[in-house]
Amino acid sequence: MNIVVCVKQVMDPDTPISAFVIDEVEKKVVPAQGIPPVVNGYCENAVEAALQIKAQEGGEGTITILSLGTDFVMDVMKKPLSMGADKMILIQDEHVAELDAAGIVNVLSAAINKIPDVDLVLCGQQASDWDNAHIPMGIAENLNLPCITSALNIEHTGDKLLVQSALPDGYQTLEAPVQSLITVNNLFGEPRYPTLKGIMQASRKSPEIWSISDLGVSSSELEPFLILSELKIPVSEGNCEIIEGEDDADSGRLLALKLREEKII
Amino acid sequence: MLDYYNVLDLLSSEERQVQSVVRDFLDSEILPHVADWWEKAEFPTHLITKFGEMGLLGANLPAEYGCPQVNNMTYGLIMYELERVDSGFRSFAGVQSALAMYPIYKYGSEDQKKSYLPNMAAGLTIGCFGLTEHEGGSDPDQMKTTARKVGESYLINGSKMWITNGSIADIAIVWAKDEDQIVRGFIVPTDTPGFTANKIQRKMSMRNSITSELIFDDVEIPVTNILPQAKGLSAPLACLTQARFGIAWGSMGVLESVYSDALSFSNIRSTFDKPIASRQLVQDKLVDMVVDHTKGLLLATRLAQLKDAGKMQYQHVSVAKRENARSALNGARSAREILGGSGITLDYSVIRHMLNMETVDTYEGTHDIHTLVIGRDITGQNALV
Ligand SMILES: Cc1cc2nc3c(=O)[nH]c(=O)nc-3n(C[C@H](O)[C@H](O)[C@H](O)COP(=O)(O)OP(=O)(O)OC[C@H]3O[C@@H](n4cnc5c(N)ncnc54)[C@H](O)[C@@H]3O)c2cc1C
Repeated sequence: MNIVVCVKQVMDPDTPISAFVIDEVEKKVVPAQGIPPVVNGYCENAVEAALQIKAQEGGEGTITILSLGTDFVMDVMKKPLSMGADKMILIQDEHVAELDAAGIVNVLSAAINKIPDVDLVLCGQQASDWDNAHIPMGIAENLNLPCITSALNIEHTGDKLLVQSALPDGYQTLEAPVQSLITVNNLFGEPRYPTLKGIMQASRKSPEIWSISDLGVSSSELEPFLILSELKIPVSEGNCEIIEGEDDADSGRLLALKLREEKII
Repeated sequence: MLDYYNVLDLLSSEERQVQSVVRDFLDSEILPHVADWWEKAEFPTHLITKFGEMGLLGANLPAEYGCPQVNNMTYGLIMYELERVDSGFRSFAGVQSALAMYPIYKYGSEDQKKSYLPNMAAGLTIGCFGLTEHEGGSDPDQMKTTARKVGESYLINGSKMWITNGSIADIAIVWAKDEDQIVRGFIVPTDTPGFTANKIQRKMSMRNSITSELIFDDVEIPVTNILPQAKGLSAPLACLTQARFGIAWGSMGVLESVYSDALSFSNIRSTFDKPIASRQLVQDKLVDMVVDHTKGLLLATRLAQLKDAGKMQYQHVSVAKRENARSALNGARSAREILGGSGITLDYSVIRHMLNMETVDTYEGTHDIHTLVIGRDITGQNALV
């Protein structure tokens, strides 16, 4: 089975708040000094899913990593290859920042169409920078693929996929054709660590670099529907309340009530 | 990684990737538990095969023996990351790689290499290195352990002291004098009758590394277990040069850890209405630490470049081992001081690192022995003997 995994480079979500800076005039997040970006966490889960499917198939097929971005940091972006993916295509283009979700969907869909013999498309459920979760469903819509979200397990039996997909109170098992788009999050399980051998093997692979103009996407397909008019860091207020009860159990009960009142649980 | 002088810019993308992957792995698998293991004097043997899967054992040895065959810079970075977590883990991996696998690789027969190295790289066979005896580890030539050839076997008698991994090892690389008083190396399976390993108790340093006394009472091993190419004391000393290279790197991992703890503590802790980080006396200590780390990292990096270019000499290693182990020990002592009372609990890493560094400054050639090694090299006068 040939699998494409869409992967995004994001700023490290563990960046301390003190290092998180935005340029309000340019309406951009300023990359934190000295803190390298990372591969989006859920995208790593999707790479893990692809590697497990490939292992089920006895190592048959190709896993291609596809990413769209402006300034790729190779130490970071090679991680999926070090984990065991076969190929990487980076669509590197200075205009990416001008695209909205619809434009990104059009570019990635065109890129997937250009890759020969793709069976399955896997995506991280959402990226930890903007947390929009728009892209996977947009690609599925564009490419007319069935879309399953939040997969816990993916099994290839015959010409079908059996996919366990998480629900708020359990999971459902869905049958889907192999040609599908599936999103994955942390519920799929920990992504493997790259091994030293994996890193050395990946060092011998060079990513293919494409640009948006290679993909035959028309300028109207890149025109944003949404315009970013303002970007600000929210002002957060801290407030500490000590919940006291008659004993530990009572304090716990009162705390739970308070949390429910505040709609936290 | 603490990198005040952008030393990482000198490294390749793969070297930096290994450093960051190994850090992620250790931060999630070891760091949360390390203080408990240290307190209970336990070594988490269940992690050994995970180290093997990651490729942390014998990482710089050839791929044909199941090793990742990374360069020495990468090997150094692995030791840095292991020791940043705890010297006991660098000790474990350093002994396995440089003191058990390396002698087999360097002095062993092809059969020995093929039969031991792949399992050792995978963490399925654990090794230890028995050179030091009860009397004066600084002078290994006075060893009393003997190997006598009887027919197609060698009979080993004697004892070894302070042997890392001794009680968990499947094989011991044992250095003993033959009937001609020549130091030879032997692969001794630890289940051979007459072999005993006694775990050394009540250590206040390297508590989560196993250290043992080994006793050999007519231990009979086949002649095929001798390391054919190792003849004379220079063989075990060459192994130690490999291991000391790892210490030069690892010590800087310790210095990063204690410096980071001290820096964040001093920014949070306030006395007389000001954070202690704003005091000149505290800054003096923090600056010494970061400058020592910068110097030590540069020494280690250059040492790795020399080693990768085949130009490293044992005296280069003495400089880096002596300097980096001592500056990490001093840094840990300063960090302990900056943390005040909090510095004596295992809730912070500093006391653990400080106590561990007492060993690191001592083993693999004490600070003073390395002074004399370098002194002999620059003056031509031997003050050791
Ligand atoms: C936790 C731990 C793990 C170890 N693991 C191993 C291992 O795996 N394998 C192994 O073989 N060994 C191991 N060792 C042993 C270690 O290498 C020795 O402890 C070290 O070489 C010092 O030897 P010693 O303790 O006998 O001290 P000594 O050699 O007796 O030295 C005592 C003091 O005298 C000083 N001194 C000695 N000679 C001179 C001289 N000529 N001039 C001036 N001063 C001198 C030394 O600097 C030191 O301060 C380990 C030790 C420890 C503590």
